[in-house]
Parts: sequence; C-alpha cells; structure tokens
Amino acid sequence: MDKTTDNNKPVKKQGAIRVEAVVPMLIVVGATALYFSLFFDAHLRRGLEYGATQANGAEVNIGRLQTSVFKATVLIGDVQMTDPLQPQRNRVQIGEVRFGMLWDALLRGKVMIDEATIENVQIDTPRKQAGKVLPPPAPQSGPSAADKMLAKMKEEFSGNVVGDLAAIAAGANPSEQLQQIGGELKSDSYMAELQRSMDETGQQWNTRMAALPRGEDFSALRTRLGNVQVKEVKDVAQLQAAVKELQAIRDEFDAKSKPVVEAGASLSDDLQGLQTSFAGLDDVVREDVQGLQSRMKLPTLDAGNLSRALFGMDVLNKLQQARAYMEQARQYMPTKGKQADQPAPRNIHKGRDYAFGHPKGYPAFWLRRARVTSTLPGGKGLTGEIRDAATDQSLVGRPMIATLQGDFPQQGVAGIKVELVVDHTQAEPVERMELSVARYGVAGRSLVDSQNVTLGFAQATAAAGFTAELRGERVAIQASNRFRDVAFETTAQSAVVREMMNASLAGLKTVSMDAKVQGTWGDLDWNLSTNLGDALAQGMKRYLQEKMDAARKRIQAQVDQRVAAQRQKLTARRAELEARLKSALADKQAQVDKLRADLEAARRDLEQRKNAATDAQKQKLKQDANQLLDKWRR
Amino acid sequence: MTLLLKQLFALLRLLNSDTGTNQISAGVACGLVLGFAPMLSLQGLLVFLCMFLFRIQIGAALASAVLFAMLAWLFDPVSHALGSAILETESLRPLFTTLYNLPLVPLTQFYNSVVMGAGVLSILLAPPVFFGSKRLIALYRAKVVARFKSSPFWKLWSGTTFFKWYSSYEKFHG
Repeated sequence: MDKTTDNNKPVKKQGAIRVEAVVPMLIVVGATALYFSLFFDAHLRRGLEYGATQANGAEVNIGRLQTSVFKATVLIGDVQMTDPLQPQRNRVQIGEVRFGMLWDALLRGKVMIDEATIENVQIDTPRKQAGKVLPPPAPQSGPSAADKMLAKMKEEFSGNVVGDLAAIAAGANPSEQLQQIGGELKSDSYMAELQRSMDETGQQWNTRMAALPRGEDFSALRTRLGNVQVKEVKDVAQLQAAVKELQAIRDEFDAKSKPVVEAGASLSDDLQGLQTSFAGLDDVVREDVQGLQSRMKLPTLDAGNLSRALFGMDVLNKLQQARAYMEQARQYMPTKGKQADQPAPRNIHKGRDYAFGHPKGYPAFWLRRARVTSTLPGGKGLTGEIRDAATDQSLVGRPMIATLQGDFPQQGVAGIKVELVVDHTQAEPVERMELSVARYGVAGRSLVDSQNVTLGFAQATAAAGFTAELRGERVAIQASNRFRDVAFETTAQSAVVREMMNASLAGLKTVSMDAKVQGTWGDLDWNLSTNLGDALAQGMKRYLQEKMDAARKRIQAQVDQRVAAQRQKLTARRAELEARLKSALADKQAQVDKLRADLEAARRDLEQRKNAATDAQKQKLKQDANQLLDKWRR
Repeated sequence: MTLLLKQLFALLRLLNSDTGTNQISAGVACGLVLGFAPMLSLQGLLVFLCMFLFRIQIGAALASAVLFAMLAWLFDPVSHALGSAILETESLRPLFTTLYNLPLVPLTQFYNSVVMGAGVLSILLAPPVFFGSKRLIALYRAKVVARFKSSPFWKLWSGTTFFKWYSSYEKFHG
C-alpha cells in the first residue's frame, strides 16, 4: 500500500525541495494570466458595481470595463447611478471614465491617479429599468440626536396642512368628531393625582394634629400659673420662689407651644403647594385642548406653518442629502487626528486600517486631477475638474476641490455653477458647497396632494441657489428658489375650496422660497418663508377664520365640560380641608396666645413687685442715713 | 476538485503510513498561517509558494487552513485588540512607517488591526502546532492505526483477492 515501505522497489531519497512542482507552478501562473485576461474585468466590474451601490444607496450599473495590467490603466464606460428618491431615473450618468495608475504606488498597495478623464456627464436621465434602492443602514447604537431631530422635522413636514384646511373649507367640522372624547386626557390623570395628593395631605395633618398638645395641657399650665403668689409677695424669699415657678411654667409652655407654632408655618406651606398644583391644572387643560386640536387636524392658519408644509420637505431632503454625503466624505476621507481616538470598526471582522504615511508617501487613494467634460452639439456642455481627492488629506496637504459649470440642455437646465470643497486637512472637518442654477424648467410639480385639494406648478421657469457649510457638528445652509411665469394647477371636489384656492392664487405669477437652517445636527433652527404661503394664508383666512375659531371654542368647551365636575369636586374638597385644618389649628393657637399673655402679665406683676420692694428699701435706707447724719451734726 | 481530492487521499495514505510526519506537521503549520491570513494577501501567496516548492503535505495544509480559518473568525475580536495594541505602539511607529511605504510590503495588509493580530498569533502558534501535530500523528499511528491493523476485520480484508489485486495495482501505478 505504501510505496516507501515496499522492500522490493528501490526507494529514491526525496529532498526537501519539490522539484517536480515546477510544472504545476507554471500551470498555476498560466491559469492566473488566463484569469486576468478573460475574467478579471468582469469580476472587477461587478465588485465596483457592488461597492458603488453601497456608497450611492441605490443601484449603480457599469456598462463596460477594460483594464490593462501592464499599463495599469482602467476604462469604465456607461456608468448609471440610480437616484434613491426616484429609482426610475439616474442621478448621474457618465459616458466614460479613463485613468491610469502609477505602478510605483500599486506596488505599495496604494492607488495613485495622476490624471483622469470623465466624459459625457449627464444628470437626471431615465433608466430602462427602475434601480434597486438599498434600505437605510441600521444605526450602530440607537438613533442619534441628529436622527431624532430630522425624524421630528420629517413628521412635521409630511403632515398635510393645506389638505386639512381645505377639508374644513369644504364643510368638515373637526370638532364634531369630539362628541365623546375617547381615551384619557392628561387632565384626568392630573386631577387623579391632585385627589391623591390631597388625601395624603389630609391624612398627614390628621396624624400631626392628634400629636399636638391638647387643650387640657394648656389648662393645667394655666391652673399652675394661677397658684403662683404674684400680688402678695412679702419678702425676697417669696419673690424668688414665685420667679422660679414662673420660669418652670414658661419652659413647659415653650416646649408645648413650639409644635403648634411650627405646624402653623408648615400648614401654610402645604396649602400654598396645593394652590400651586391647582393652578397647574389650567396648563394641563390647555395642553389637552392643543392635543385635541392636533388630533382633529385643526391646523393654525399662519404663513410660516403653510410655508413649511409647502416646501419644508424639499429643504429637508436637501439637508438629508448633504448629511449623507458629509458622512461618506468623513468616512472615506478621515480627518487628521489620533487613530486610536477613532470609533471602533462597525464590523469587527474587518478590523481597522491604520495609516503610516510620511510627507513623501502616497495615501491609500489619491486622484490628483480629473477633468470633467461633456460636449454636446451646439457647443453647449459641461466643464469641470476635481482636484486632490485623497483618503488622507493631511498627508496630501490640500483639500479636495471640485468645480463644475455648464448646461444640461437635454434636461432644460442652464447656468450650473458648483463649487465643492472638502477640507479634512485639520482636526475639524469642513465641507462647503456653493451651487447655483440660472434656469431650469419645472413641469407638473406637486406641492399639495390630498383627498380634498391638490396644488402644484403646471409649468414654471425656476432658478435656484444653495450654499452649505458643514463644520464639525455645525450646520449652516441657505437655499433659495425663484419660480417665474408660474402656472398653477389645482383641483378640488368642493366648489368652495376651488373658489378659495383660486382667490388665494389670483395674480401670483412669481413664487419665491427662502430657507435658512442653522445650528448643530441635534438642534437645528429652521427659517422658511415663501410668498405662496403668505398668499394662501391671506386667502384662506377669509374663508376659514370664523369656522376655525368656532371649532377651537367647541373643543375648549368640551374639555372644560369634561373636567368641570371633577374640578369642582376637588375645589370643594380643598376648601373643606383648608377650613378644617385652619380651624383646628386656630383653637390651639388661641390657647397658646392666651397662656402666653397670662405669662407675660404675671411677669409684669412680679417686675412691679420687685421695683416696689426696691423703692421701699431705698426709702428706708435714706431715712436711716438722714437720722444718723442728724445725730452726728448735733 | 480532482487535484484537491487527490491531495486529501494522499494525506490519508501518508497519515496511515510510517513516514512523512514532518511533511504533515509542516502542512498543518502552514495551514495555520494560511487560515489566519486574509484570502488574498502577499503572505498567503508566499505560504502557497512554500507549499509548492518544499515538500510540505498540501492536503494537510489545505484541510487545516479551512479549520483554522473558522477558528480565526471566532478569534477576530482578540486579533483586533492585539493588532490595535501593536499598531498603536509608539516605539514601533517608525518601523511601520518604513514598511508602509516600502514596495510590496503593504500588500500583506499588515496595517489592518485584525490582519496584524491574527498574523502575530499564527506566527506564535506555528511552532507549537508543528510539534503538537508531530506528537498527535505519532499517537494516532501507535494507538489507532496499529490497533486497526491487528483487528480481525483488517486481517480478513487484507487476505481477500481484491485487496491483493489493489495492492499490486498501487505498487505499479501509485
């Protein structure tokens, strides 16, 4: 079975080196070369598609890819990046990307592209098939403050304020739904808490009152005081005995009256506390009314509210896009800082890459310059360049700057100017973007879409401006849109709503929108205004103000009615408790005051006796002295 | 696939023979380094080259590489911690900076915490695994193979015509 154990066959001693492996090795090398010439491009294309899809958040397709291993060049053709918000359209479509890499860098495991060419760039192009959109990545450790803030904004902007107003104009009375307030109001639980608090206070005071000195205690002291000989003091010894007894009574009185005095102050505090709690009930009722108004979709009719409802979602989408790009830029181009301070890797199995660059070294990826061109018949097109896109900007020493200007005539977009600066050379990351579009066409853009009313731009010519500066956690974004020659498109089932909308929009040919968002990602200050919101608010007021006021009053009355009985009961209970406790304490207080007055009177009597005795002694001494002097003179 | 199966059968044959202990043990140690290294890396390629050039049992290396790759996956958190500690050591920074900027060396991905940790672990464990394997093979041959060959079943089987015919075939064709 084993060749080496076969005694009949001469065993050839085998060395440590496997000489016969030369041929298999050559086969392996040949197979590798075959793989690179036949399959590598296809596999690399799929790998790039996968990576780009993850980065884009939606499907990215690469039509063709050609590589040359010896020249280290790559050609990527027909790149289509799906728009995650409109999967049937491409966000960007690129005709061809060509670049060559330096072998010197490749041998060091780095990618260094001296110059790349990006040709035939287009935006917002249709796709043959809708692209796949990836679900948003799960947060690593619960939603951040920024996520919560943006979710709150989304909830606010996705409400259909104009639709709700139109429903009221069409005849719906939201407050009629409030025949019977279902569920528990905050006021109910607040009043239950008040009741409990009062019961507890009553019980505590009953116990405390029972522990206070009773009337007999003070009567006994008064009897002892009556027995003290104050008016018929004959000598000093009697006086001393009376003073001693009075002092003892005084001490006992102080000990017994102290809890009564303290209870008086404490009762005032407790009653004050109850009064404050009762005052808080008004605030809770107000909250209930507001909550019900919101539940009954009774919006406030002000221009700011309407402006946010009309354009808030647009601005929020831009903000979310800016944040997504910022996060990607910060992930792939980390700022200068201690590597140990960086957060733990998301996937522990992938570990963390450390960079040990030196001033003359290469970063992991560095695109020094990319020319963007897109020439169309008629001389129109796009020009731009990207400079210094690198994974380690502190090593490169320069920020990434991308500029683009030109037109997309096929999409009806003219006068685009974009400048993007990603400066991660210092510890604090900074991203700046300035974008302006001189003219673009708008057709069939919906602003309000509800069951009762729809509103949108049938046609308009627009111009837009957008500036953003993201510095660390701080955000400063300004967006403006000007829509000229606006033709509105509005539909409504109700004739009243139609009339209201037409009256509101009459003569409005230009719509402007200005938004300013400032603050930190967790605490953003929004300022959004549009003349369309003003016009709608003005127009709707005439039709709706009276109805809305009536609805509000009705909700208020219903809540008041709901809490009235319990509130009355609680008020009566509070009055009864207050009166009972005050009365009980007042009796004891009167006894204390009376005894204190008696003690004071006794003290004054003794004082008088003492003074009289002293005067008599002085008089006697004077007479004796005069007699002695008379004798001496004689 | 045929090549792979051939290597595995060769491993079984060698394991049940009296020779090739060092080849198998070296194969297991190489498998350890392979399993702990990333699939596409310079060090993996070097180990493969060694396996081809030197008389190392390839079947043993491939089988143990699969086993050790699973083990390495479980140990990734440990490898990450160890690798991070090494890569963040200030005194080693100049060395890593030189290596990072040398040609070819960065292709080992030594700058990754898991690769560095797992690499150091595999190098430290390779000698004990080599000697441990040798000992285990010797024990296996003494306890399992010897007992099996002295069993009535084996005696019955080795006396059959088919077995004799197969032994003759093995002798001439290998």
